Amino acid sequence: MIAAKFIVSLLPGVAALGYASIANSYELYILATVGFYAMVGVGLNVLLGLTGQVSLGHVGFYAIGAYAVAILTTNAGVDFWPALLFAIALTGAVGVLLSIPALRVTGPYLAMITIAFAFIVEHGAVEWRELTGGANGMMNIPPVSLAGAEFSELATVYLIIALTGLTLFLYWRFADSAWGLAMRAVRDSEVAGQSLGLNPVMIRATAFGLSAMAAGLAGGLFSPITAFVSPSSFSFFQSILFLLVVIIGGSGTVFGPLLGAVIVVLLPEFLSDFAEYRLLFFGGLLLVVMWLAPAGIVGAISSWFKEDNPDATQPSDADAQDIEAFLNRKDAATTLTVKDLGISFGGVQAVKNFDIAAVPEKITSIIGPNGAGKTTALNMIGGFYKPGSGTIRLGSVELAGKPSHMVSRAGVSRTYQTTQLFGDLTVLENLLVALGQGHLGGVRSALTHVRNNAEACAQCHKLLAFVGYKGGAQTLAKHLAHVDKRLVEIARALATQPRVLLLDEPAAGLSSQDTELLIPLLRKIAKAGVIVILVEHDMGLVMKVSDHIVVLDAGMPIAEGKPAAIRKNNKVREAYLGTGEVIDRARKKALGKIDSIMLDAINLGAGYGAAPVLQDVNVSVGKGEFVAVLGANGAGKSTLMRALSGLHRPIEGKVLFIGEEIATWHAHRVARGGLVLVPEGRQVFPELSVVDNIGLGAYCRDDFNDGVEIEEMLNRFPALHRRKGSRAGLLSGGEQQMLAIARGLVARPKVIMLDEPSLGLAPALIEDLFSVLAELRDEGRTILLVDQMAALALSVADRGYVLESGHIVHEGSADGLKNDKTVEQAYLGGGS
Amino acid sequence: MLIVSSIITGLGLGSMYGLLALGFYITYSVSQTVNFAQGSSMMLGAVVCYSFAVTLGWPLTLAILVALLVCAMWGWVVERFVVRPFASRGSNAWLMATVAAGIVLENVVLFTYGKEPRSLPSPLAQEPILIGELGVYPLQLLIPIVGLAIACGLHIVSRRTKLGKAQLAVVQNPDAARLLGIDVRKAVVGAFIVSTVFAGIAGILIAPLFNVASDMGTLFGIKAFAVAIIGGIMSPWGVMIAGLAYGVVEALTTSILGSVYTHIVTFGLVIVVLAVMPNGLFGRAEVKKV
Repeated sequence: MIAAKFIVSLLPGVAALGYASIANSYELYILATVGFYAMVGVGLNVLLGLTGQVSLGHVGFYAIGAYAVAILTTNAGVDFWPALLFAIALTGAVGVLLSIPALRVTGPYLAMITIAFAFIVEHGAVEWRELTGGANGMMNIPPVSLAGAEFSELATVYLIIALTGLTLFLYWRFADSAWGLAMRAVRDSEVAGQSLGLNPVMIRATAFGLSAMAAGLAGGLFSPITAFVSPSSFSFFQSILFLLVVIIGGSGTVFGPLLGAVIVVLLPEFLSDFAEYRLLFFGGLLLVVMWLAPAGIVGAISSWFKEDNPDATQPSDADAQDIEAFLNRKDAATTLTVKDLGISFGGVQAVKNFDIAAVPEKITSIIGPNGAGKTTALNMIGGFYKPGSGTIRLGSVELAGKPSHMVSRAGVSRTYQTTQLFGDLTVLENLLVALGQGHLGGVRSALTHVRNNAEACAQCHKLLAFVGYKGGAQTLAKHLAHVDKRLVEIARALATQPRVLLLDEPAAGLSSQDTELLIPLLRKIAKAGVIVILVEHDMGLVMKVSDHIVVLDAGMPIAEGKPAAIRKNNKVREAYLGTGEVIDRARKKALGKIDSIMLDAINLGAGYGAAPVLQDVNVSVGKGEFVAVLGANGAGKSTLMRALSGLHRPIEGKVLFIGEEIATWHAHRVARGGLVLVPEGRQVFPELSVVDNIGLGAYCRDDFNDGVEIEEMLNRFPALHRRKGSRAGLLSGGEQQMLAIARGLVARPKVIMLDEPSLGLAPALIEDLFSVLAELRDEGRTILLVDQMAALALSVADRGYVLESGHIVHEGSADGLKNDKTVEQAYLGGGS
Repeated sequence: MLIVSSIITGLGLGSMYGLLALGFYITYSVSQTVNFAQGSSMMLGAVVCYSFAVTLGWPLTLAILVALLVCAMWGWVVERFVVRPFASRGSNAWLMATVAAGIVLENVVLFTYGKEPRSLPSPLAQEPILIGELGVYPLQLLIPIVGLAIACGLHIVSRRTKLGKAQLAVVQNPDAARLLGIDVRKAVVGAFIVSTVFAGIAGILIAPLFNVASDMGTLFGIKAFAVAIIGGIMSPWGVMIAGLAYGVVEALTTSILGSVYTHIVTFGLVIVVLAVMPNGLFGRAEVKKV
């Protein structure tokens, strides 16, 4: 099989050499041109295929290579070979230099920098007459020679074919080397790459340099064979043709650039009668390929022939013990000490006075209600945010303020709330990237396939067995089931041999059985001597697995201790469930008989990707009723709201709104129908004024009397009246929440839904807010409220549902739920 | 004298760069995508206007209307068939796809309209008026006025009308806009249409001063894109100011150093600006999140 592949790979080269031997002078030139395009294409492929960046300026590098050889051999009398080497080195250096502004930007910004570069080179060649001959160019460039003997045209073309083959070979070796893997990893997830010790700036600069060198090589060969260079050979349009080569052929494939070069160079020759339609044809071809085969022709073909071996190797349990030894670093007996950590964003203090002392072999959890600053704290420890104050010490090493790849190399590894695997890498490759701890090695390593390192692969398989991953090691990470993504991400984090493992909500989106699997795993990791820090919403997991818990609320630590003590702590209960004493907001006049159902969710299921977040949810709201859905963070409350409002399409079940099925409607249509959501986190339009924000609420109404109705809203919310002219972004959190509600009300909704209106508000403001909600209820409006503050929500609601892990676990009248222990258990764990 | 004249030329061209760049701003702000082939949209406006006004002999105003209508349709086509298929699957291939669409359009025009450049006669570009000793066509004075007027118009429409505010709402928070019943997809289509119409206006305005040909927009579009990027693509006034500055720098470089240095200096400045301020002169950095 391998031999067959090898022979097939050589075929194009043999064919080219054979054809060259019988070709006439013009045909030889065409053949050489295919080689140049293929070489530049390979270079672009390093950029586009491995790092995912587009350059519209590669003709600039090609030109620099061509002029360098032309000038050195013609004017300076240098031999061809040293001139070529110089040209390659020069383009590489220019590439790295250009990458400095280019690295800080991506997408259109990067495209612009490369375009500008190409124009500067082209016009520089015109202007720098003494050196380049100006617009007339340079003539009589000497042919390639070796030891005084000049190459014939045929020999030169042989050389070009050989070097094209060599470039393709080098790309093949490079793409799966530690460097190639690192480039693809950073492309798929820059943050995850950094947290494994990869330095994205250095990696992209290298890609730019290598990519430029390939173009420089092609340019350096172009000069002697044509014996003539002029700026007209290097027009901006040439760059687009080079990109065409890679995209049509297939970026990220070895032979894509070769096939692309053959098509782009030869097609116009075959269609010589239609030569002037060449560009029209290329434009059309590019569009068609991009529509039909986004991976290019080679990419599409190889996906047909893809051998279906999802699993060459199954991880075995036997080796799992070795991993404990691997993780148990002798020097690991050291503590992670965080002192007085703080950070603020735009004047808002997100975390303040945060202390934690985490020791090896123990699991330390950080918990707190939504918006408490847990992930922010984790991001500071991991180096993703630079703390405003405080220290983070691992043993005696200060980590605060270091970039995340340095923090990682110091021994801190992490996982993410939404998994950040490298999607287009296999499971095995994900781990192999991590195993290097950010050290990519030199030239030899850059030309060695990582997968041939048997020892490293064995280590990865053991890690996969250790975390209990049962799937294939060759599966692409993006195709994994959700639970497997979590496990592989943990395995990847462990592959860096960390002293500290930061886990950001590892149970999010997992079923309760899968969450159970995490408990022994986390214990095992800790036992091996790793400092485990866990941020998690699933209180069941936190209470079972933690040795020590720190509770954050509104950015400040409010309690710490062992799980049992935390569960009993009053401050913690208040932070989660709201205060025990609540103002009486009961209806003055009892709610009459409900004569019609306004909103009815039947067996609703919803999720993101493979993981169901909601299952079999049944919620109904009668006309004039105030219904509350309670539940801890991560229970699926916001997903329910998104599913009902049309922002997120449910997977199963029905949503009936006044008898009409709306589950398949787009959000704007749902809103027009009269089911209006006031979204979580306020989401006002920050640059628009308060009045404009309110006015937009009535976007779909034709009978909106803006003068009167906006005034009405401003009177209802006096805090807004005072600030009606200011931009909404300048309002305080409480004012923004009032504004969001006002914006929802002017739509004259038939049902208004409120998602976590109390989130992030000071207690006094929350009281005001709920008084407003009670008023709205007493006016006879139909309201569905989702809130974490159970006691408060029940003070205004008629009925309530309790959501836990995506299921409705309890429902009943508000009075009944107030004294129900199951509500508290749904928040703080414990109980059954 | 030379300086004054180049400043007038620069402001005129610059306001047109700004107008095209506003088109980039409009689509980018609602959809994070742009029509990279804005230059060919501009060419389309000029060519269609020429064909109806000169070849078919229609009244100029009618020809202009038809040209802008065609531009609007082209904007719809670009969004629907060239940008949306890629953007909706999260790919950034729209960048190359719009380049390809531009190449196709330019070549279709080349074969239907013809190769030889023609000049659109305009009553405003026949008799120069004298300002001191300086002769300027009335059109040269009109161009920056129209450019700035359109920018002001855009500002007023987006701040004062319901539709404009809705568009701003989509820019600032698409999900929240959906929840108010605003159809975000239509807003994106609308943005592409406005963007190509702006390009068409620019094409028609400059057509009498330059030649009308299928490749007239290529370099113009690239410069406009540079303007959008250095202006900080999310800031409409930043984009317009950058356009005027670019035009003036370009015209001054040409008259002081000579035309060959123009691109070296202007594109060099683009790289320098982006190296120093990665979000452009008037742009703001976005907050990173994990």
